[in-house]
Amino acid sequence: MKKTFSLLPVLLLGALATAPAETSPQPPQDGGASAIQQTGQQYRQGNTLSGAGDNRLIGRQSATDTDLAGKKALLNTKLNTFIAFFNNPLSGTQFEKFLNAPAETSEAARTYRERISRIMDLLAPGNATKQNQDEAFALLQKASEFESDANLCSTIHDAVYAAATARVQAQQLTDLNQKLENQRRIAEFNNLQAARDRPLDDHPVDKNATAAYNDDRKTEREARMEPTKRELAAVGQTIERNKLQIAGSESQAKFQFQALILQLFVQRRYEHVIIADRFYRALFDDGDQSLESFRRMANDLGYNKDAGQLKLTAKGDPSIAAAAGTGGSAGVGAGVGAGTASSNGGTEGGAFSAEGMQFGIENASVESLMNAVSSGMKTVSKTFRTLSQLDGVANEIIRDVNEGVKVYRYLLERNELEAATAQLVSVWTKGEYLPSVRLLTPGEKRPALRYAQLINRLINASNSGNVDTLAAAVSEMKKQASDFDDTEILAGIQATKVASSMHIAQARVAAAKGDLQTVQSEITRAAGIWPNNPELQGFASDVARMSEQASPQAQALSDFDQLYGQKNYRRIFDEKERYIAAIAQSPDRQARLKEVLSRMQEIETSILRSEEISRRGDPAGAWEGLEITFASYPDDPKLSMMRADLTTRVPDFVNDLRQAREYENKGEYGSSLAWYLRAKGRYPMSDLSRQGIERVVHAILPDAT
Amino acid sequence: MSRRKRSGLPPWLLLLILLLAAGGGWLALRQGGGETSFRTVEDLDPHLYYESANSLRGNTYRIDAEIDASLGNSASKGRLFSVTLKKPVGATPPVILPVLVPPSLGSLTIQKGQHYLMKVKVVDGGLLEVQQAAKP
Repeated sequence: MKKTFSLLPVLLLGALATAPAETSPQPPQDGGASAIQQTGQQYRQGNTLSGAGDNRLIGRQSATDTDLAGKKALLNTKLNTFIAFFNNPLSGTQFEKFLNAPAETSEAARTYRERISRIMDLLAPGNATKQNQDEAFALLQKASEFESDANLCSTIHDAVYAAATARVQAQQLTDLNQKLENQRRIAEFNNLQAARDRPLDDHPVDKNATAAYNDDRKTEREARMEPTKRELAAVGQTIERNKLQIAGSESQAKFQFQALILQLFVQRRYEHVIIADRFYRALFDDGDQSLESFRRMANDLGYNKDAGQLKLTAKGDPSIAAAAGTGGSAGVGAGVGAGTASSNGGTEGGAFSAEGMQFGIENASVESLMNAVSSGMKTVSKTFRTLSQLDGVANEIIRDVNEGVKVYRYLLERNELEAATAQLVSVWTKGEYLPSVRLLTPGEKRPALRYAQLINRLINASNSGNVDTLAAAVSEMKKQASDFDDTEILAGIQATKVASSMHIAQARVAAAKGDLQTVQSEITRAAGIWPNNPELQGFASDVARMSEQASPQAQALSDFDQLYGQKNYRRIFDEKERYIAAIAQSPDRQARLKEVLSRMQEIETSILRSEEISRRGDPAGAWEGLEITFASYPDDPKLSMMRADLTTRVPDFVNDLRQAREYENKGEYGSSLAWYLRAKGRYPMSDLSRQGIERVVHAILPDAT
Repeated sequence: MSRRKRSGLPPWLLLLILLLAAGGGWLALRQGGGETSFRTVEDLDPHLYYESANSLRGNTYRIDAEIDASLGNSASKGRLFSVTLKKPVGATPPVILPVLVPPSLGSLTIQKGQHYLMKVKVVDGGLLEVQQAAKP
């Protein structure tokens, strides 16, 4: 049986753990991973990756990888333990609640503190008279009336009462045993008397009668002693039973009391620890107030090897120690956080951690839970041997917290926000309920709250995976808190930026090799790491263009646009089947293609016609036919070539016309007309000559009829 | 007595006859273009004309041509004809030139196939303007 769940919700206040640190390998995100593997295998086998689906798969997987990697990298920029504390939703929220809480300066709170202080004074060594103890005992109930006490004084009161009752019961049993001892002595005397022979009785008169006489006397004595023996045995058993009861009662009372003290310690109720400890000393005369009862009880619980061990798994920062156990009324949870002197015990587990942890439990069963309880109790009993140790540590923590509050105020005066806030976190985690912490005013806590909000902004920026946002947050942090150490984070940001640029460089290399898939993959990685990388802006359009080149249709459209721009209509006409198919899906290009095909059709028709005329032995007519078409489409290479070929066959005619046009253009109409007439003389069927003559005549005689 | 009879026509009659002869000749010249062979006018060189008609502007030439076709007729500028030179100088194809017959020669009857000797002047644009024309 294997179960995994978070322990944190069941741990109480002290459980300040769990930041969602990602340390375990990431499982495949979706079915795309296997598809990519298959595609990659095909690629290695020599099959090209031409499908758009391949690109999408690779791109998606790369984006997922880089997103995770990028976030992990940013989180690994180490925020520090302090920042990780705020990154923990539970601890961060609790601390912010504390920062926003008003100071406990109310009359009730003051009265409560006075009563606690009075109880501690009454029980202080030297003052702990019977009368003072009674007064302190009475004050416990009154102190528990206040909300901030959380009824802990009442619990101590009940425990003291129960222990005292147990002691009274033991005393009564002891008194009873004394009476029973008297009874036993009487019974022993009676038994002795019963055992004695009575010489005045009749004696046997002969030898045979002596034996019978002796038998009778034996029987008689046994009969006489029987009641006293029975009484003696009964008294003895009662006495022994009472002794056991006395011992058991006291042992149980001690155990319960010790467990209560440990629980209060774990709850960081150090004043209550001291109060309970002093009551314990008054109630039980253990000399060094040993926790032997607690240890013995733990040892008596035993360990069921067949049940196995309740395994607690903790994932996260391995530098933070974590051990925990839980369950039932005797559960023990323990964790030791960095810089925090903490212990554990009692019915509630506590864990202090400044670093994110995830807990899970395996092999959970009643037997394994009992094993965990036993192990936890043994651990606690080994940590603290005596209540004196516990009392000393509690006093030390109270002193340490009071001093920490003074240091916090001092650092605030110097405007060292990070150090001050770290100090406040420290005193809060150690002594949240101590008066010196509770009396901090909102004005005194406000700077720490502001810094906490900045930390939250920093964490959110980090979690967003956006390097620029994180850099801005760090910059803001540095402005607000001059002592904020941004070295590591800035180094991490720089490393991230470099990594992004490296991916772009890889993409450029791949682009030079024509490896479109790698280009896309590398660019996606670069964008995942640093979305606002300026180098990406210029590369994005290139990537889009290269992606389009992967599609034959897109390639055809691109070629068409290029050829059309170059007026290379002949090339378009030669590959018209390819473009017709591609442009069928692109309406905006259809008009252009139609125009190209129309003009090429005209050119081709002209060429065919000229070829036919030429074959009939009329090169001038053939040339003239092409020349007319050439005037409209001077950029068609085939037309130009054929026209040039025919020009060599009728050079004089062509020359006449060119001269005529030249003079016509110069306005020398007489000469032009002469050349046109000459051309017409060479080729009377010439349309160009006829048209030229008409134009020139009209120019010379505008009003000619 | 016989010496008086040998003196012949009176002088005034002889002078009158001479005057009448001179006037008739002058009229004949005015009506018939003077010297109809234009022997004093240089022949037009077609090659030179084709190559650089504009450079010949202002010059007068003689052409011996046959009317080829009428190209146009303008009341203000005259009639435009294409003529084929009868004696082309080394030209393989027939030399066909445009000539403009000004309105001042409106009385001249010109039809296709007629043979004329023409005195032409190269005017602006290289056009040949007929100044005199006569049938040979």
